[in-house]
Amino acid sequence: MGPALIDLLRAVLDKEALFRFRAKGFSMVPFIKDDDVVTVSPLWGGSPGVGDVVAFVSPYSERLVVHRVVGKKGDHYLIKGDSAREPDGLVPRINILGRVRAVERNGKEILLGLGPERVLIARLTRNGLILNLLLPIWRLIRPIARRWAT
Amino acid sequence: MIDTDMEEVFMETEVSLDAAYVPSEDIVAREIEGELIIVPLVAGIGNMEDELFTLNETGRAIWDKLDGERSLEEVVKELSIEFEAPEGEIEKDVMGLAQELLKKRIIVEVPEA
Repeated sequence: MGPALIDLLRAVLDKEALFRFRAKGFSMVPFIKDDDVVTVSPLWGGSPGVGDVVAFVSPYSERLVVHRVVGKKGDHYLIKGDSAREPDGLVPRINILGRVRAVERNGKEILLGLGPERVLIARLTRNGLILNLLLPIWRLIRPIARRWAT
Repeated sequence: MIDTDMEEVFMETEVSLDAAYVPSEDIVAREIEGELIIVPLVAGIGNMEDELFTLNETGRAIWDKLDGERSLEEVVKELSIEFEAPEGEIEKDVMGLAQELLKKRIIVEVPEA
């Protein structure tokens, strides 16, 4: 998302409104997939916690990114995509624009990834276990799970 | 028979040449790649998926004059001079766009002083 759209997002959140848009990319698979619609809320004066999925402006690329908080150091947050190889680095609080509060896929709300389980997911993400362990296991068992479901 | 309350609502959404209009406080507007993108805040949500409104160059020229100080009639006159086009044609465009913007609550009428 380029600078103009980031400005639009900031302007909406500054009015204490939510911002709903389509996410692009694969770095948050399986919890947020390419083309999922995400709704971001303002932080309302609070601070994000470990496990929260946040929308932030990368201090390195200056692009809007939606990834998960996996750690905190003072006023900086360690943020990483659930299936990204590397973290985004330590991001200052001021770069974090809002918190993802809903994810929709094909018109249905996705419940996994933003609830109480998000703290565990953050731990797995930080250690690379989503990418290196859970996703490969899921790809193996997904055909079996689908057959059971039908 | 039309219910009186409903009749009042219908009347409120008709634009008037004598009236002045201004962007609503419940919108966010930004220029992106040469177009003006307007995001209405509906029920507290700025929705890029369903509710986006885009103005091209002509729409932008009209939008820029909706400052709450000029009536639509004055906007028509000014644009007619700027674009060197007949007032009748400009009036159709101005009234049409203003009507749509008012209906979507992107602009609001400024009460007379």
